[in-house]
Amino acid sequence: MTVIDPARLVEMANQIGDFFAPYPEQRRIEGVRNHLRNYWDPRMRSDLLAYVANGNEGELASHVLAATRLLQTEADERSAYAGPPRVEH
Amino acid sequence: MPIPVKPDQSTITTCAYCGVGCGFKAETSGGQIVRMTPWKEGKANHGHSCVKGRFAFDYYRHPDRVRSPMIRVSIEDPWREVSWDEAFAHAAGELKRIQETYGSGSVGAVSSSRCTNEEIYLMQKFARVGLRNNNIDNCSRICHSPTQFGLSATLGAGAASQHFDSILRSDVILVVGANPTEGHPVFGSMMKRSVRRGANLLVIDPRRTETVDSPHCRASVHLALRPGTNVLVLDSIAHVVVTERLYDEAFVRARCDWDDFELWMSQVGDVRYSPDVVGPEAGLEPDAIRELARRYAAGPNSTIYYGLGVTEHSQGSTGVMCLGNLAMACGMIGREGVGVNPLRGQGNVQGGSCLGSWPHMFTGYRFVTDAATRAVFENEWKIDLDGEPGLRLPNMFDAAVAGSFKGLYIQGEDPVQSDPNRHHVEAALRNMECVIVQDLYETETTKFAHVLLPGSSSLEKNGTFTNAERRVSMVRKIVEPVAGLEDWEITVGMINAMGYELKYDHPSEVLDEIARTSPAYSGMSFELIERVGSVQWPCNTAAPEGTEVLHTVTFPRGKGSFMLTEYVPTKERVDDRFPLLLTTGRILSQYNAGTQTRRTANNAWYDDDVLDISADDAAQRGLRNGDRVRVASRYGETELSITVSGRVHPGVVYTTFHFAHTMVNAVTSDLNDWATNCPEYKVTAVEVTKVTKVTKVTKVTEVTS
Repeated sequence: MTVIDPARLVEMANQIGDFFAPYPEQRRIEGVRNHLRNYWDPRMRSDLLAYVANGNEGELASHVLAATRLLQTEADERSAYAGPPRVEH
Repeated sequence: MPIPVKPDQSTITTCAYCGVGCGFKAETSGGQIVRMTPWKEGKANHGHSCVKGRFAFDYYRHPDRVRSPMIRVSIEDPWREVSWDEAFAHAAGELKRIQETYGSGSVGAVSSSRCTNEEIYLMQKFARVGLRNNNIDNCSRICHSPTQFGLSATLGAGAASQHFDSILRSDVILVVGANPTEGHPVFGSMMKRSVRRGANLLVIDPRRTETVDSPHCRASVHLALRPGTNVLVLDSIAHVVVTERLYDEAFVRARCDWDDFELWMSQVGDVRYSPDVVGPEAGLEPDAIRELARRYAAGPNSTIYYGLGVTEHSQGSTGVMCLGNLAMACGMIGREGVGVNPLRGQGNVQGGSCLGSWPHMFTGYRFVTDAATRAVFENEWKIDLDGEPGLRLPNMFDAAVAGSFKGLYIQGEDPVQSDPNRHHVEAALRNMECVIVQDLYETETTKFAHVLLPGSSSLEKNGTFTNAERRVSMVRKIVEPVAGLEDWEITVGMINAMGYELKYDHPSEVLDEIARTSPAYSGMSFELIERVGSVQWPCNTAAPEGTEVLHTVTFPRGKGSFMLTEYVPTKERVDDRFPLLLTTGRILSQYNAGTQTRRTANNAWYDDDVLDISADDAAQRGLRNGDRVRVASRYGETELSITVSGRVHPGVVYTTFHFAHTMVNAVTSDLNDWATNCPEYKVTAVEVTKVTKVTKVTKVTEVTS
């Protein structure tokens, strides 16, 4: 059983993606990744990943899909901040 | 009792209606409150008051008060009165049973902005040490959560930058999606005073509100935009600032991230945000957008005040960021007379935001994923804490409908009446095995409860409130709580029943704990507040008696951050079937869901929700003033009486949500803010049709589109 309806998770993730869409590519992807990491219950994240892995990749915007992959490869704790992409100087 | 009644005692306290937080002298005779007199020394209100704080206090002794803890096995059963100890043991036993059956994350809690800072802090402590998870949320989820997100992202602090008196030094006042003359009347009076002294008033609001045009209050520019186009219009204002080079380059170079500023300029400077393109889509004259932008940028001291008309949208957080960007671009931040200021709805919404009642944050807006912050609380509470975010309240309801969330402890909230998509909330609560409600009265939500804990009103307890200008003021017990316990004592009882031993003798000890763990409150104590009257955070060694104006030298993160704010139209659209846009708000004499004010003589001013409709739209539908209408959306329908009003444009209708029987949240959409899940209460496509046979009790039925 999923924690909430996967269709709702996809809708929420794409809505987050809409906000970050105008950013340059790396920040666009990291913005979505950080938002999901810092604001979503881990069960929501894992349910979304499982749903996507089950042949539903096409339901996510491409940069949101890339962000979910980043979640898997960079699952370690990161210094959290308010969600927006950050410029690394 | 002789008339006029001569009080025998007077106690200074803080009003719980709205985020202004007026100081009052509560005067009693024979242990009963006989008069609320505005306190002249109150730093938020300077001796002024409104009709809610002044007169609407009798609710505390209304016969409807819940006077004993009650439990029942099924929501179909009658209530059974029990002792406090039995209620705590039963509630905690149920929550533990559910966790053993469905997992640790299957239960949660929600705190109330009608409660004190200390009580809100204890609710998040209940979740973290009692439930051992981060499933804790607060009611600002459905009002100002985008403020916390949007202002944190841009300015670095999710709170008003100014103190209220700052408006008296403003040359230009921009009000966006707020109607302070009705919603925050004492601050509204101060705004009018500033306007009388010559300040230029600019308003962005779909309605021609009292703030736009009433005695002592006339906007020089009013952008009556189409509901749902806030971000589009604010980006267009930014477009004018950028393309006409009205920005303060020296300020931006010194105080903000210049690379992000250039990125932002390239976005809002694009022709798609020019007033000539935006005007027709938003229903505005392009020159009016230009005029507003020029006046705001010209200052010399321009300030922004905004309300739920900005936050309660699917782009609520983006709208707040637009305001932060605009203030930084024009150098209107960091001194008296300028700034960006949310007007908070309930008395302690700012406290609700500050005190860690979030599934992703501890006090002071610090993330649960941050190990250093977690260590502060693990050290204070001597317990290991969950380092993953919990569920937000709307997601708790989603999870309950899906079957994975089974128990909820609700402090002083009525989500069935006030949260979006009533049918969804009811279905969620029905799916739970233990709903615990702590409230003054039986409500729409207690119909789904298994445990009812009699709450205490703000007149019956000690603690503090934090108002919309970050001012922490004393709440003092005027009369005894009807069921014997203050709200903080109830939550302490629940924490102990969950197996975590805890003891406080007085709420001042809770504030001391907040000060030990929260940098912005580190200098705060009951002793200090008693001594100086009230204190604005940050209060610390650098500012031992608090801080009036934020961001004077640097932003909390150093540089201010310009955020990209692309306009994404709401999915809620008008069509032939639902051709009107419904927007919602409130009026002067009633308070939010009306739980308290409906039980006072304030009903004489306003005894039912009504629907404002333009003369054109009324005529097209054969409607006359006072007619009863059916208001239907894709989500549900209800019945209301209409007022044919010049305050709304054709195509827009408006109502309040103060009365339970009108069930306006059965009609409003279930779309919500991308960042925070704050509901889009301000934009719902509806149709209005005349009801020929008036039903005595409003019947709400679900409509499937």
